[in-house]
Amino acid sequence: MTDTQVRTRPLPQPWKLTEPFWEATRNAKLIIQYDPAVEKYQFYPRSVSIFTGRSNLEWREVPGKGTLYSFTDIHVAPPGFEDLAPYMIGVIELDEGVRMMTPLQGITMDAAVLGMRMRVCWQKLSDKITYPAFEPDR
Amino acid sequence: MKNPLRDREIAIIGYAETRIERRSGKTAYELAGEIMDQIAQRTGVVPADIDGLATVQTHSEAANPFWAPFLGDHLGLSLSWTQTSGNGGASPAGNVARAAAAIQAGLCEMVLCCNADAANTRQRSDQRSYRTDFVEPVGLQGPPSYFGFIMRRYMEKHDLNFEALGKLAVEQRKGALTNPNICETFNKPITLEDYLTSRMVAEPLRLLDAVMRCDGANGVLITTTERARKMGVGKMVHPTAFAELTNFDVHNQTPDVTETGFSVVGPSVFEKAGMNHGDIRMAHLYDDFHIATMMQLEQIGFCGRGGGSDFILGTDISPTGSLPLNTGGGQISSGQPGLAGGGVQLIEAVRQMFGEAEGRQVPDPSTALVSGIGCINYVRNWSVSAALILEQGA
Repeated sequence: MTDTQVRTRPLPQPWKLTEPFWEATRNAKLIIQYDPAVEKYQFYPRSVSIFTGRSNLEWREVPGKGTLYSFTDIHVAPPGFEDLAPYMIGVIELDEGVRMMTPLQGITMDAAVLGMRMRVCWQKLSDKITYPAFEPDR
Repeated sequence: MKNPLRDREIAIIGYAETRIERRSGKTAYELAGEIMDQIAQRTGVVPADIDGLATVQTHSEAANPFWAPFLGDHLGLSLSWTQTSGNGGASPAGNVARAAAAIQAGLCEMVLCCNADAANTRQRSDQRSYRTDFVEPVGLQGPPSYFGFIMRRYMEKHDLNFEALGKLAVEQRKGALTNPNICETFNKPITLEDYLTSRMVAEPLRLLDAVMRCDGANGVLITTTERARKMGVGKMVHPTAFAELTNFDVHNQTPDVTETGFSVVGPSVFEKAGMNHGDIRMAHLYDDFHIATMMQLEQIGFCGRGGGSDFILGTDISPTGSLPLNTGGGQISSGQPGLAGGGVQLIEAVRQMFGEAEGRQVPDPSTALVSGIGCINYVRNWSVSAALILEQGA
């Protein structure tokens, strides 16, 4: 990419740790790290359990449902997002007890209410990357 | 609680600050050189007298993993102790405590705390971990977006009166107009109406809620009180208590994002100092966003949770008021000199205590609370909370 080109929306750059997550999203599946020793989920993906410090983590598929914890409307967009602004971003509290920040779809600022039920949906950004977003779970 | 600072054995004997500028075209080295020059001119100390250097990780020089040795060499310093702190806006206050600890541990005797960042001229930082996969592709516009989330949760939990945030904006701007070091952009008064109608950045957060990234530098010179007396130093400031917390409530995956490390650090710093909020004559609170200032007032204990709006509206925060607050404009009305930004608060506190805050001098600057905030965690609040108590020396 040169400076004269228009910046495109940045894509995830999967590394060994996050590759399983992105492989799952390509198949419209949401997987979250789970620590069987303490029976808790954690997000974002890490190399160890934040509870035990051990690396015996599992990936578990989850239904992708939860509530809207917070949201904002981005008016001043970062490079690559200029054409989308204003757009909504939300923090979703999954039923498994972790939070994710994702784009919001199918919702307007007027209709967004904290605590409303949300479900995962998918944004295909490239051949390799399908990104999770959330929409109202009606 | 153990607190070796409380005996006033450590003294800040000089301070320096550059003008804060947009796209200065300078490097952090040149900005740091202005700090060295001011310190040498004001204190009579030469580079050979300095044996410790505490500095901050920058946006502009972040690609250099040898930053402290390079910076020290540039300034002509031979060093028995160096420190590069990567705690963002909490680094400058934190480095005062780190320098004091190093001096008290016998590692060095005179430390230049030099914070310089040409962040608006050159951006070289690259934060990986979760950011490349789970933040940048979402379209988050940096800290303002996070504070949009946080403000919304605050509004859900408490009454937020935007006129209180507007009062912070207007009062700080008044102070800025007496401060020759502010960025030229801010050299005009603003009204409450200007605040309330400024454009949305990340709803409900507005342009005049937020800092603007600039270039600039600041620094203090620290040694033992004993050596300062031997040198015949006339003015000094003692750091007498410090508390810091990184990654507050980290094991809670669904935390209340309106709670921060200051709920721990605030009470802790007062206990260490043997003080309470009523003993503080002026507050210099890290202001990346006005809502952060309000949350700190509550969590440090100047008022109760959710009481920030009423407290601000009911308190005279001007230099002659009952709680002078960010008297030189804070960062929001001075410009944020990148990751040297926390020094804006530190320097204004020391300047007041030296009796050199012309046009905005606090009549009794005998004690000050200086805070720092650094970094932001994934869907949480800020990572680092730091609080420093300063006392005017004789």
